[in-house]
Amino acid sequence: MLVSRRLLLQGAAVAGASTVLPGKAQARGKVEPLEEAVGMLYDSTHCVGCGGCVAACKEANGLPWDEPTDLSNTTRSIVKTRRLAVPLRNGEASAFVKRQCMHCVDPSCVSVCMLGALHKEGQGKRDMGGERKGTGIVLYDEDLCLGCRYCQIACAFAIPRFEWREAFPHIVKCELCRKRADPTREGALGVANPACCQVCPAGALVYGRRVDLLAEARRRMAAEPARYNGKIFGEKDGGGTQALYLAAAGVTFKELGFPDLPDGSYANASESASHAPYLNGVAPIALYAVAAYLVRRNKKAQEGAERPEEPRK
Amino acid sequence: MTTHARPRAIAGGLLDRPMIWLLALFGIAEAVISYRFLAGIGSVSNMNDGYTWGIWEPVNVVVFTGIGAGAYSVGLLCYLLNRGKYHPLIRPAVLLAAIAYSLGGASIVVALGRPWNMYLLALPPLWNLSSVLLEVAVCVVAYVCVLWIELLPAVFDDAAGSASRVRSAWGKRWGGRLAKAMPYVIALAMLLPTMHQSSLGGLMIVAGPKLHPLWHTTLLPLLALVSCMSMGLGAVVVLTAVMKHTWSARHDNELLADMSKVNGLLLLLFVALRLGDIAFQGKLHLLAVPDFYLMVFVLELALFLFPAFLFLTRRVQQNRARVLGALLTVVGCSLWRIDAFLTCYNAGESWSYWPSLGEIAVTVGMAAFGVAVFIAVSKIFPVVEVGDPAAIRAGHEADLRSLRTRPATPPGTSNPSRPRSPR
Repeated sequence: MLVSRRLLLQGAAVAGASTVLPGKAQARGKVEPLEEAVGMLYDSTHCVGCGGCVAACKEANGLPWDEPTDLSNTTRSIVKTRRLAVPLRNGEASAFVKRQCMHCVDPSCVSVCMLGALHKEGQGKRDMGGERKGTGIVLYDEDLCLGCRYCQIACAFAIPRFEWREAFPHIVKCELCRKRADPTREGALGVANPACCQVCPAGALVYGRRVDLLAEARRRMAAEPARYNGKIFGEKDGGGTQALYLAAAGVTFKELGFPDLPDGSYANASESASHAPYLNGVAPIALYAVAAYLVRRNKKAQEGAERPEEPRK
Repeated sequence: MTTHARPRAIAGGLLDRPMIWLLALFGIAEAVISYRFLAGIGSVSNMNDGYTWGIWEPVNVVVFTGIGAGAYSVGLLCYLLNRGKYHPLIRPAVLLAAIAYSLGGASIVVALGRPWNMYLLALPPLWNLSSVLLEVAVCVVAYVCVLWIELLPAVFDDAAGSASRVRSAWGKRWGGRLAKAMPYVIALAMLLPTMHQSSLGGLMIVAGPKLHPLWHTTLLPLLALVSCMSMGLGAVVVLTAVMKHTWSARHDNELLADMSKVNGLLLLLFVALRLGDIAFQGKLHLLAVPDFYLMVFVLELALFLFPAFLFLTRRVQQNRARVLGALLTVVGCSLWRIDAFLTCYNAGESWSYWPSLGEIAVTVGMAAFGVAVFIAVSKIFPVVEVGDPAAIRAGHEADLRSLRTRPATPPGTSNPSRPRSPR
């Protein structure tokens, strides 16, 4: 046996252990919602599907009206009609759902973005101007974006869009109309002012602080328990989101097009698994030192064996 | 070792017919790439917001670098586990790796939407250290540099053997200096792939619900690391076989038999890890759902187990079927990588994807260019070990006769200037 099986298995065991074991021991931890985080509450049971929010979004963001059917590089917000498997008691066979960036509490897109082009307001690698810490809004900084599109892979809600036909493309997604904020105002309207929430005529779309929106959602569910399906999507799903959703009794969020997410965030799972083996940089340095020592020793021995009559100078 | 066998430049003109074909394929790729930079990625590809990486990342980066991992796995055997007999394979493996990784990096530039911002990667204060892709990017760039440095001895050897006294002295001086630094470079060449190959697998952990549960696991980094070793060894065996046929390159039966054994064990390790993980996570019931994914899963498993079976069969280790095994290993590992990044990734109901001709042209053209560079470098610099054909034949028979008792190469006996083996 020339390469001994024992050596090989030992190597594999060490490599395996160093990758897996610390991964369990060194999770990066759960990210809690920011106290002053802002978001929106969408109540599917009140939505009439007028599309006013979609038009308002287009106008507020200077995007062309192109009769959108889904999010796209020209559409940051959309209302979709979802066919239901079982019609509701009132005979309704479909339900509306508005989609836009969820402004996750612990966003995958922010976790994976190489230089922090996608970042939580005030928590990025650089300030795009007037950023306030604590809003939790996920912003896009084109000057730090390489266009790798890993955000699109990472986002469980498939929100970020890319300008495929542009030579100088951008990532496009909802930024909660931060630019429409009125700095003279106190509270949530002082940090952002989503056009969609402003125009909703049905009370289906409310903008505010996440804590207030959660309270409002609970109030609605308590007032009409038979109306709702009993779950606030985004309260915990995928580590929590700042856009919160209510749906009618008999409708699942899966039917509305949402993924089935665990309570923990994938950002946490991914970072813990990928970074833990590094032991804060100790592992690579140790590995390098061991490798350098072994290579030096073995290389010398091998060269000595190859050229016995030619001692190295 | 066969007498007089040491790396030499391969004889023959550079621009022969295969070379022209390869360059033509690359030319088509270049045309597509130029158009892409003018009209956007969507103008040449079928990539969409759901399948945003198309085939360029899964194939050009993840598979190409897997093939390039031969330098890593042979290096591990040769330098870390102290199997000096693998040394003749190092230079070709490193050249293959340097080319494959460089092409992976070049493909990224083509695939990036905003490549003009790439210079920012050189500014550590901007690094988002949570990003797995950042780690891959920085580590791969560093590794590409290391690989080309690892090839410099070939350049210095070439110069040292030159007829010009000045060039010869230059080559000897710098070759000597580099030789002193080499262990530290090689150690880096062992460390960096350990990091980025596992991170490459780790890229898809965050995709969570979009990746089929038979592929999605926190073990992805480890699986990617083990698979790159297998794939790299397989690629080196295939490369050796091809070089033997085209250039009568030296071909050490015993060495290849050994590598086959190692690879068989690695393949079994991969399968054990993967199946164990699936069982451990309580996903075994998914294997009872007869759908497309199960079919792909079974195909992958077959492409891991069949080569493993071949490799661990004593007779196959000595005969040509091991090349088939190596080829199947590369195919199997590539398939697993493509599946984890593309086939078994599902962004949602509203998207479908099949690569466009333009995308395929870029991938094929890049691969063709890689082959062309390999041929060109091997013809200019001493990378591949060739003896003259008669010596090789004799050596080959000697190898077969006495598998374990090989005389050491007499030193300094064969250092002619720019030896060209006659056709």
